[in-house]
Amino acid sequence: MNLGLDDDELNSCVACGLCLPHCPTFVITGRDTESPRGRIALMRAVQDEAAPVTHEVLRSMETCVQCLGCETACPSGVPFGHLMEGTRAALAAERRITPRWQRLGLRLLRHRRLLLAGSTLLALAGRLGLLPARRLGLPARLPLRRGRHRASGSDVWLFTGCVMDAWQRHTHLAVQRVLEAAGVGVTPTAGAAPCCGALHAHAGLEPDAVAMARQVMAALSADDRPVLVDSAGCGAAMKHYGRLLGTAEARDFAARVFDVHEWLADRLDVLLGSRPAAPLELTVAVQDPCHLRHAQRSHEAVPVVLGPFVRELVTLDDDGLCCGAGGAYSMLEPELAMAIRARKTAAVERSGASVVASANPGCSLHLAAAGLDVRHPLELVAQALDSGGDG
Amino acid sequence: MSPLLAAAARRLGRRAHRPEPEGEADAALVAELRAAVGAERVRADAAARYLASRDASIYSEGTAGPLCFPVTTEQVSACVRIAADHGRAVVPRGAGTGLSGGAAPLGRPVVLSLTRMNELLSVDLDNGVAWVQPGMVNLELSRRLAPYGMHYAPDPSSQQACTIGGNVATNSGGPHCLAYGVTSAHVVALEVVLSDASVVTLGGLDAEPAGYDLRGAFVGSEGMCGIATGAAVRLTPNPAAVSTMLMAYNDVSSGAATVGAIIADGIVPAALEMLDRRCISAIEDFAKAGYPRDAAAVLLVEVDGPPGGVAASAERVARIATANGAVSVRVAADDAERARLWKGRKSAFGAVANILPDYYLHDTVVPRSRLVEVLEQVYEIADRYELTALNVFHAGDGNLHPILAFDARVPGTMERVHAAGREIIEASLAVGGALSGEHGIGVEKRDYMERMFSDADLDQQSRLRAAFDPHCRLNPGKVLPSAHSCADIGLLRAADGKIWG
Repeated sequence: MNLGLDDDELNSCVACGLCLPHCPTFVITGRDTESPRGRIALMRAVQDEAAPVTHEVLRSMETCVQCLGCETACPSGVPFGHLMEGTRAALAAERRITPRWQRLGLRLLRHRRLLLAGSTLLALAGRLGLLPARRLGLPARLPLRRGRHRASGSDVWLFTGCVMDAWQRHTHLAVQRVLEAAGVGVTPTAGAAPCCGALHAHAGLEPDAVAMARQVMAALSADDRPVLVDSAGCGAAMKHYGRLLGTAEARDFAARVFDVHEWLADRLDVLLGSRPAAPLELTVAVQDPCHLRHAQRSHEAVPVVLGPFVRELVTLDDDGLCCGAGGAYSMLEPELAMAIRARKTAAVERSGASVVASANPGCSLHLAAAGLDVRHPLELVAQALDSGGDG
Repeated sequence: MSPLLAAAARRLGRRAHRPEPEGEADAALVAELRAAVGAERVRADAAARYLASRDASIYSEGTAGPLCFPVTTEQVSACVRIAADHGRAVVPRGAGTGLSGGAAPLGRPVVLSLTRMNELLSVDLDNGVAWVQPGMVNLELSRRLAPYGMHYAPDPSSQQACTIGGNVATNSGGPHCLAYGVTSAHVVALEVVLSDASVVTLGGLDAEPAGYDLRGAFVGSEGMCGIATGAAVRLTPNPAAVSTMLMAYNDVSSGAATVGAIIADGIVPAALEMLDRRCISAIEDFAKAGYPRDAAAVLLVEVDGPPGGVAASAERVARIATANGAVSVRVAADDAERARLWKGRKSAFGAVANILPDYYLHDTVVPRSRLVEVLEQVYEIADRYELTALNVFHAGDGNLHPILAFDARVPGTMERVHAAGREIIEASLAVGGALSGEHGIGVEKRDYMERMFSDADLDQQSRLRAAFDPHCRLNPGKVLPSAHSCADIGLLRAADGKIWG
């Protein structure tokens, strides 16, 4: 089967194996079929050697978290993420992966009102005890009420997205609070740009991902102010629009996209000026979301921004290994996702931190489901700003 | 997280794919293996077997039969017994980072992947050893020993991925083996499953274990004498001080002269590594280690020990380097810079793909005094075969790693690569060198063994192997050329070489 992968990209892997310890599924299973090197070899077998796409080949591709830890580790610069997205797109186009119920679920993300109403219904059902939230992999307590978005200026866009806006709007509001303290006027995107399309690209639904990218770009391109993103996954996807669409317009748009920490780290002066006398009395472990660390490679901005506002920041000793959230991965591959997460929770325990700071909604939901106290880094900053340090 | 959702998904969506029925060929064998180690720890499907049919080398002549992931010594023993009952060979496998085809199966053997046996079993500070399982990753072991102020000294460039079992099989070296010694000096005892499925312990914690040094014979035996299921490794205290220096040269021979002068001065650096221009350029593209791209060669030198001694040695090394033509000497200011310098060196092989998609790496050892001469021959040979040669090597012990970079998709390339490889080996042997420093013989250098050893030597090696494995069931067809091997040639021919359907 022709997966439509670029021959040079596919052949840039020399099979040295240096990716293996950076791949969460290989670390858990010890199996080559669940490793980056193995996945590439199978892509090659399918595309170049006419190997059939067996159940095990499909499982090899489906079990990939797409964390891109292998890309950072790869001395040969293999563009693994691009190969995996291409493979999934080819398999999804043939209906070999991503069954109809997943496609329906993902399509819902574009319909903001439906999504918000659905979320409220789920929250209600939860309050009435009609929803086995834990067993469904949903947050224990979905919000019944959400704060209202309001524009405070037009210096930057704050991209609010789909599920995150339904379940974690308090994070967006806290981020906006911090930006305002830094002297920045914020316009939340809210309904204008409903979804970035990251999950669709991960699932191999390239046409959907492209449509959503176009919608986001159309909504935010009346001017050229920066588009700030407080979800590492969405930010990575939007920085990727240039490659996804292949147009100059998309590349220009992608250049305007910043992770909110990355953007703030270069403009800390004003924010530090409004810093309270005492930092929050907390020991905080910074969890690097893969889409910040490996996809955007801008994770180092998080401690720069958060550090001055808490008593102590600790680094986890797990070499930045993925937590297993992976967008919808934790729902689609629960067993592997939980085994991967167990390593992360053990690292948090070793670190002695009481709070985990995560700059990605997927990671934070996934880790919170394991009983950790997880906050967005800028929620902690907002708390410090509001409390004067005694929180 | 959500078994309920998953169940619903299965009902609603009817996953688009199902497992395909496995072939009948190994049905009885697979059933017995599954009964012994658990169904989920045996893979007989095409994808798993395809991937187990190769390692990091360019060799894949046979095809893997059933692939097992045992988690205990008893399970390893059971797999060996069952394979024997079915007349099948057994090939052990770690992370598959080997470069000479040592883990690439010949014929259609049962493959044992030891990646799941990766525990640190005990740390015995009094005796200065730790017991580890064979699937423990080399660097992970040092990380786990860090709280004790200890590390595991041999550090192959692939140390972040390769396993202790594989290190034992090939008697691995690494940059720091110049001062600390190779794997054999750091493994004091081994638990081994022999070819008759019995379990024995070789060596021991005493300084002088009784009897012949069977542990010494086993380390480096490339999976042909038994399958190591546990190793007692020596703990090395972390040095109090370390100084890492990078020196740049305008020509390779000045670098080589520095190497000789440092050793002649009586200094034994912890590591002494050399990289040539092309290698520097490939590495910088990835690691951004700050290697000077305009240098013809760089030397990476590390000295360690008590702080006072380190400072004095570092100064002497710098003086010797300058006297021998170094145009710059850079001393790593902190751990971060030191880590960057090493990241450059240790990603050299993989980074070759920044130049060309395939590489073939040699591992010959030559007397230090002949380094420059052999290097020049390597460049000349590569030019003649229209290949790109890059050199990165353990200069301190004369262990060359010439890399031939190429694009296997170009017709006729492999023939040129093999011909050039043969000439490089012959040039190394001609000056009194050895075939392999640390990567092992495997399939790659098997047929060169006769150029280095006499018939009597090879027969003796074969008898030693047969003393451990009289029926040649373990990793047959490797290391010893067929004329001196007890392996059943018929068994090595893949009866059914087809993997996919």
